[in-house]
Amino acid sequence: MPATRHLLVVDDDTELCQLLSEYLLPEGYDVESVHSGTEGVERALSGEHALVVLDVMLPDVRGFEVLRQLRARTRMPVLMLTARGNEQDRILGLEMGADDYLPKPFNPRELCARIEAILRRSGIERGAMDIRVPGELIVDDVSINKGSRIVRRRGETIELTTVEFDLLEALLRNAGSAIARDELVRTVLNRPFSPFDRSIDTHVSNLRRKLGPGPDGLDRIKSLRGVGYQYTLRQSSGALEK
Amino acid sequence: MRLHIKVFLWFWLGVLVVSGTLIGLTELTHSRAQDDRLWQEKYGPRVDLWARQETHILRTKGSVALEEYVGSFQADPGVLNYMFDATGHEVFDREAPKPVLATVNALAQSSGWTQRVDPVERIIAERAIDANGTPYVVVVDFPEPSVLTRPVFELLSADFSGRPTRASAVRLAAVVGVAGIFCFVLARHIAAPIDRLRSATKKIAREQLETRIDRDVLNRGDELADLGRDFNGMADRIETLVTAQRQLLADVSHALRSPLARLNVALGLARRHSVPGVGEHLDRIELETERLNTLIGQLLTMARVDSGVGLERWGVFDIAALVEEVATDAEYEARARGCTVSVAGERNCLVSGSADLVRGAVENVVRNAMRHTADGTCVDISLERRAAASGPAVVINVRDRGPGVPDKIVQRLFVPFYRGLQTDNNQNGTGLGLAITRRVFEVHGGTATAANADGGGFVVALELPLYVEGGTRQPQAATRPTTEEHGNAITAA
Repeated sequence: MPATRHLLVVDDDTELCQLLSEYLLPEGYDVESVHSGTEGVERALSGEHALVVLDVMLPDVRGFEVLRQLRARTRMPVLMLTARGNEQDRILGLEMGADDYLPKPFNPRELCARIEAILRRSGIERGAMDIRVPGELIVDDVSINKGSRIVRRRGETIELTTVEFDLLEALLRNAGSAIARDELVRTVLNRPFSPFDRSIDTHVSNLRRKLGPGPDGLDRIKSLRGVGYQYTLRQSSGALEK
Repeated sequence: MRLHIKVFLWFWLGVLVVSGTLIGLTELTHSRAQDDRLWQEKYGPRVDLWARQETHILRTKGSVALEEYVGSFQADPGVLNYMFDATGHEVFDREAPKPVLATVNALAQSSGWTQRVDPVERIIAERAIDANGTPYVVVVDFPEPSVLTRPVFELLSADFSGRPTRASAVRLAAVVGVAGIFCFVLARHIAAPIDRLRSATKKIAREQLETRIDRDVLNRGDELADLGRDFNGMADRIETLVTAQRQLLADVSHALRSPLARLNVALGLARRHSVPGVGEHLDRIELETERLNTLIGQLLTMARVDSGVGLERWGVFDIAALVEEVATDAEYEARARGCTVSVAGERNCLVSGSADLVRGAVENVVRNAMRHTADGTCVDISLERRAAASGPAVVINVRDRGPGVPDKIVQRLFVPFYRGLQTDNNQNGTGLGLAITRRVFEVHGGTATAANADGGGFVVALELPLYVEGGTRQPQAATRPTTEEHGNAITAA
């Protein structure tokens, strides 16, 4: 059993918070709950928590505002709870750098799995800083540094969220060939693929927007209907690793 | 024609007609005096000369020569020459008109003057004495100038030389130009606020609810300003209502889902401590919770579509690509039962609307088909373009290989919560899926219909108008009675 990890739950539903801390305790999570956005930002920035579970609907400020304030200062993992069926919330949350989202009401097992997946990913990330030799991956005019997690296009730095970085890395590594959607969900989002879940597509379209068109003016990431996505090669014959 | 141009042209025309009339009248009175003076200066001395010549000819060469001379003289159009002797008798016995006689009399009565001019009738009478000392009166009767037959250029020229000059052309251009500028400004003054009202109305229709008419219009102090104020009042009201509706939907969603969220976690806790035999009941509770959740989601979607709230993300997208994506996902889901989904027909069909809503609507139909199709069969989706009365459209046919539906209830499947289909499969649906699909397509200006297919199975046809460049299709107002029904359903819940 791994050491107890501290989670911060920001949700105005106090009863739900109680139930959650009761449910998550045996799973190895110690839950602290706060019920307002301002408190949430304050506590999250204390650096005591491994992950924040953030509800979109808060009494004082919207969850997105909390997320924006957090992202301005920290890269700590954030899982958003959104109203089901509200596509806009989902897209906005992921765009603003949430690591994942879960529509409310959720299955607590699913919540556990998502938290696990995010922590595993960010754990690898943190470990990589120390262990892995900071390598570079270069495709055409885009280069990513796996150590510092910096992305450059023609020398200019591009701000990407954690998930977008991982997605770009996966796409660049396979540049020129297609990766199936379900594979991307498994490797990048660290969770089993479920149809009708469009979060990977949202991440791809955000990434596409941030990267801008390729040197020839066309989309860098091509959608292959019924298959998945492909990073299109222009000049180089493949990813160059340093 | 645009109101601005219309008002401008009418005013311009009006101003030109009025100023033309004014100039004409002025010419008739004022310029005539000047004209008369010029005429007198020109012909006064000449008549003096002619009178001397005529008396000289009469004395030296006789009346025949004079008649010849006068005849050649009268070749000028309208100019008449008379000659009276001392007794007041016309030398050639011609009948002189009254004004001529009057002038002659006036000259006779004025002693000392050798010339008498009647500028109105254009008559000049001149005393002349021949070498023998015989006195005569020579009268020249000129034609009267006609103002109405003179060209406009002449009317405008003060020097009245009889021909258009540069100055007169400049003057004409100035009148037309000044009138034009004035009328343009006036037309703009009237039409500009109407344009603004119109664009504001359009913006409100596009859900830019914060749109208001600005001070420029409101400070005019005329009826258009009142209209602007009324518009702002209306916009305030619409904004309040829509905001309230949006807030209500969010609140209802939150209020209904919070207990479900707690229920789910409590269920998770209960599973941990469950004794043998309870598990399947807990599964049942979980299933029903999930159904309740789906139902709430669909009711809210229905309310959103009907009220038009949440249609903000209106854009242009490729429906063919969307169908393909939905098909891929559906196939993934149906693989376990050995079913497949095929998509055929048109590619790249751009439509305008809310991609999220249309995706949900298509998904409802495709998943429905997957549910009802027999194991190991294929659901066929085909896209075709069709020229409808209102313009080009795309039709999506979704056909399953299932048992079909009794003909008499086919149409009722689109009625919310219709409970006619007593098959076991019905338990999986909420009774709202097809109703939502139809509403979504109607809001997009399309239709959703269903029928039993030839050769077995059930086919749902979804039609959407294709996007036309420059066309401005907006969400269609939900004015159907169904709005009421669902509105009540939500508030009752």
